[in-house]
Amino acid sequence: MAQTSARKQGVGSVIWEYLTTVDHKKIAILYLIAGGFFFVLGGIEAMLIRIQLAVPNNDFLSAGLFNEVITMHGTTMIFLAAMPLLFAFMNATVPLQIGARDLAFPFLNSLGVWLFIFGGIFLNLSWFMGGAPDAGWTSYASLSIASPGHGIDFYALGLQISGAGTLITGINFATTIITMRAPGMTYMRMPLMTWTTLVASVLIVFAFPPLTIGIFLLMFDRMFGSNFFIVEAGGNTIIWEHLFWIFGHPEVYILILPAFGIFSEIFATFARKRLFGYSAMVFATVLIGFFGFMVWAHHMFTVGLGPTANAIFAVATMAIAVPTGIKIFNWIATIWGGSIEFTTPMLYALAFIPSFTMGGVTGIMQAAAPADYQYHDSYFIVAHFHYVIVGGVVFALLAGLHYYWPIMFNTMLNETLGKITFWFFFVGFHMTFLIQHFLGLWGMPRRVFTYLDGQGYNAANMISTIGAFLMAIAVIVLVVNIIITLAKNERVGMDPWGDGRTLEWSIPLPVPYYNFAQIPLVRGLDAYWVEKKEGNGKMMPSESLTDFHMPNNSILPVVMSLGLFIAAFGAMYFPDGQEWAIDAVSGLEPKPWALPVLIIGLGITFVSMGIRSWKDDLGYYVTKEEVERDLEELERGGK
Amino acid sequence: MAELNQEPMTKAQLEYLRRQRTREMRQQLVSFGLMIFLTFIAFGLTAMEVIPAQFTIPLVLGFAFIQVILQFYYFMHMKDNGHQFAKLFMMTGFYFAIAFCVTFVYIVWIGAPVN
Ligand code: HEM
Ligand SMILES: [Cu+2]
Repeated sequence: MAQTSARKQGVGSVIWEYLTTVDHKKIAILYLIAGGFFFVLGGIEAMLIRIQLAVPNNDFLSAGLFNEVITMHGTTMIFLAAMPLLFAFMNATVPLQIGARDLAFPFLNSLGVWLFIFGGIFLNLSWFMGGAPDAGWTSYASLSIASPGHGIDFYALGLQISGAGTLITGINFATTIITMRAPGMTYMRMPLMTWTTLVASVLIVFAFPPLTIGIFLLMFDRMFGSNFFIVEAGGNTIIWEHLFWIFGHPEVYILILPAFGIFSEIFATFARKRLFGYSAMVFATVLIGFFGFMVWAHHMFTVGLGPTANAIFAVATMAIAVPTGIKIFNWIATIWGGSIEFTTPMLYALAFIPSFTMGGVTGIMQAAAPADYQYHDSYFIVAHFHYVIVGGVVFALLAGLHYYWPIMFNTMLNETLGKITFWFFFVGFHMTFLIQHFLGLWGMPRRVFTYLDGQGYNAANMISTIGAFLMAIAVIVLVVNIIITLAKNERVGMDPWGDGRTLEWSIPLPVPYYNFAQIPLVRGLDAYWVEKKEGNGKMMPSESLTDFHMPNNSILPVVMSLGLFIAAFGAMYFPDGQEWAIDAVSGLEPKPWALPVLIIGLGITFVSMGIRSWKDDLGYYVTKEEVERDLEELERGGK
Repeated sequence: MAELNQEPMTKAQLEYLRRQRTREMRQQLVSFGLMIFLTFIAFGLTAMEVIPAQFTIPLVLGFAFIQVILQFYYFMHMKDNGHQFAKLFMMTGFYFAIAFCVTFVYIVWIGAPVN
């Protein structure tokens, strides 16, 4: 049973605990470790790109390898680093913020993380098994159908597996936030982190199915002989672009909304002021989510949709800037007149405002369809999306790492090293990407592996590469900071920042495995702050101390994900050497074992789903006596 | 959190539940009958070609729409209380799906950029 007892555990049992856990706090750590690993991997790929582009006519990477590296960099960063790291913070905080003992579906939460991990491993195995995907993270069908070998199959199958995990997790968070809020936690009292998680989850629920369908069509074209995108056979490659961007634009908001949530919490905490314009913030969040679905064709202005379609999508795109602007002004008004404390998270938050706004402004420039004919596929686009994604999402991830670290690990990251990281990262970031706007305007195309001497790109590219190295130094300092902090293991007490406003800071550290001995009663926005100012500084319970129900651990999520992982190999090698297959793989050695592997893999998954369905697993009760013992111990430790 | 410590129901509660269920059953049967009937007409119209195709197509689509509504409201319980969120999600889903189809038809095929 999942008791986190004070007893020392062996390495084996810790690993087993993490393989089987359904506890949102441990799953948060799994997301953090796996997402952090992929972040470093994607970062290394980024450094390879920048080294290749540092000087003209470089041959550090060959043209083909360069394509693989940029594809894997983008795919890894979006799907395997940014999203899982956001899920880490959502898992760590959202149940605590709304006063719940776990997510609505703890088993599915575990399934989500393992699908992501196995999908990510599958995708990255491509490096060792004949070459990585090379058609860009957007994998436009005209390129990806023609790409020889199995690279694109790794992309399609890997993303299909991890995408299923994401969809499951989105449903889980939406359900949790809608149904499991503590008494008194009305919608308009939810902290913004919870609100943005809710809207991002809803976006996941609507945006991932189009991606799933798009990838299924691609899989069938590449592996099972269909012709959805194969123009010679009557297919249409533009359909992939639509499906991808119907997913793709909401995806960028799935990333940025939780980032907004993290920053909103940090601003309120370290300005020691209530978030300015809370209801406008909520409204803007929902509006951004809704508009996010109406603008996908702004990525396709140059495809030739025609002037009417371009005009409609241009106007819709510009409209998104309005709610985004509302948010920017509200954050500024929140810090205005606050008593600001310059902690590491706050530094990221302050730096985020101008950095992200610059990305928003270039976004509006690109939204003007005729002007976009100039910007499209140039380094200007690269500069735009790195300003919003790094200046928005990555800043939020780094800020959130420092801010929520005590909740996740009961220690504090070193502030001095944190600030060193911040300054290196901040300077490096602007150095790398600001100059890329100009490179784009001067005509340097994106996704081309080198450039000639004498085109005027040399100095700018060198500056950009140096900036990238500064960011790499920042990440190294961060890793050192993490190692030192873990090694020292100096425990902190409740509310370690001293200015916690929301429920997650009202819990003793380490957070008990059942989160709340008694579900608290929420009396206003910033529930904990209300009690600090108007009450005795403790949350009031909303129920008497009784036994309560908790879910059991299970290994089945790992087994289910493993089954799909195995099946993916079968699907991938199935078309090899078949006469009906596309040219990319029809010349390869036939693999008669592929079909059995596919069937065995799917069999493992379906059998474990059957076990889950038919074998009852009713969970267990945490007894009142145990909780009382914990509370007493806390009392003694605290005094 | 699933509550598993269940207490036995009182007699009145049981009675009430019974009545509710009977009514529910009747509604389901009626809507099921109606749906079969509509399907039957749709098949009949198409097979016997009694009216021209221009009329049959919208008629069949109309029947399909009624059936979808019946399906959602009576079989999938959208009529019951506590389904506001499910409704909101489905309406939004419909809206997006229809918007996507319209734009697809317009810009992929009629606008036909590949031609
Ligand atoms: C003010 C809001 C924004 C506007 C008006 C906007 C507009 C645009 C436009 C028109 C493009 C397409 C340019 C082209 O390819 O020719 C684009 C690309 C992109 N945007 Fe934004 N954007 C905004 C915010 C964001 C945010 C918040 C993110 C992510 C967090 C983001 C991520 C991206 C990415 C990743 C691409 C490039 C995709 C690719 O081609 O690989 N954008 N943006
Ligand atoms: Cu977009």
